[in-house]
Amino acid sequence: MKCKVCKAEAVVGLPSHNTAFCAVCYDKFFMKQVSEGIRKKKLLEADDRVLVALSGGKDSLGLMYALAELGYDVTGLHIDLGISDSSRKARAVVEDFCKDRGYALKVVELEKEGVPMPLIKKHINRPICSVCGKFKRHYFNKVALEDGYTALATGHNLDDEVARLFANTLRWDQAYLSDQGPVLPAENGFAKKVKPLYRVSEFESANFSFLKGIPYHHLPCPYSKGASFTGHKMIWRNQEIRSPGSKRAFYGGFLERGQPAFAAIHEKKKDYEVKPCTKCNCPTSVGVCGVCRVREQLADSLMASNE
Amino acid sequence: MIIVRLEPEDKIDTYPKLNTVQQLLNKYDLFYTDALVIRDGELLTQDRKLNDGDEITLRKVISVG
Ligand code: SF4
Ligand SMILES: [Zn+2]
Ligand SMILES: [Zn+2]
Repeated sequence: MKCKVCKAEAVVGLPSHNTAFCAVCYDKFFMKQVSEGIRKKKLLEADDRVLVALSGGKDSLGLMYALAELGYDVTGLHIDLGISDSSRKARAVVEDFCKDRGYALKVVELEKEGVPMPLIKKHINRPICSVCGKFKRHYFNKVALEDGYTALATGHNLDDEVARLFANTLRWDQAYLSDQGPVLPAENGFAKKVKPLYRVSEFESANFSFLKGIPYHHLPCPYSKGASFTGHKMIWRNQEIRSPGSKRAFYGGFLERGQPAFAAIHEKKKDYEVKPCTKCNCPTSVGVCGVCRVREQLADSLMASNE
Repeated sequence: MIIVRLEPEDKIDTYPKLNTVQQLLNKYDLFYTDALVIRDGELLTQDRKLNDGDEITLRKVISVG
């Protein structure tokens, strides 16, 4: 297979774009997908101070690299969840990567914060992944607020966004469908949230990270279900094979035509407001935020187990 | 013989003969956008020929928590 641009031997074939690239031309293609995506949906301004969530996976590290290459002011944020080997490995990958490339990095240790995930799992009777997600978002917002970042960037790719949109469409979740997209604007002083990889697939992202020599950990979290292609991702994988470009058309069509229509009917119904938590100042719509509540429950449970 | 290292499973499989990357992908029911196929640090597209003695990494494309 030959590169469609320069006719050298291709290293990546992309049916969704009906094309193939050598390493040099693939780099240009990928970077253009990211920069065009940022420009089209106005994700970032040149003077934004961007905090990038770094899990240690290929998407987050590749995103950090791409944003730095595009000249943005980026700082990484890693949340060390305190989950045995998996967290240690993830943190080491992130720290080595940032040191290697000269990127600024902040690390929040949940152990030091008194809320490592294994302790939460033991004491809080709720699905661990939903609590874990809550804590990650919480610290992301908190660091941005305290250190003056204007944008929070995550490595969600097209496959992630399509799977999520699909799930929310199946239950016609109006609230979600009215305000989802690659950018959630700043609200009440909280930084905007952006997903600059929304136009690139998981496969494209994996190729990019490989070709850029970006290391990534693949030690799964012991609490994850471990399924490689989970439910909706499998459906979309098969659909994409049958009809290349389906994912882009579904998500792109939603952004162009679906989301604005839902926003128009939902606007009037919005009956909550995002405000600072009365305890910790992080964004919430329910007075005391979810994380502060979990902390209270944890304290109660620890007290009870000591009695 | 062709040696295949599967990631993220970290498992090794061997095959007496495989002619192309496509044949390798077929062994695992994978479409070529499901995995990276790596030989000597280089990515291979599905039409590439495999040779006796090749050591291949088959890295499935999934996200980790
Ligand atoms: S799989 Fe592990 S890291 Fe991911 S959300 Fe669940 S607990 Fe957190
Ligand atoms: Zn080329
Ligand atoms: Zn709070």
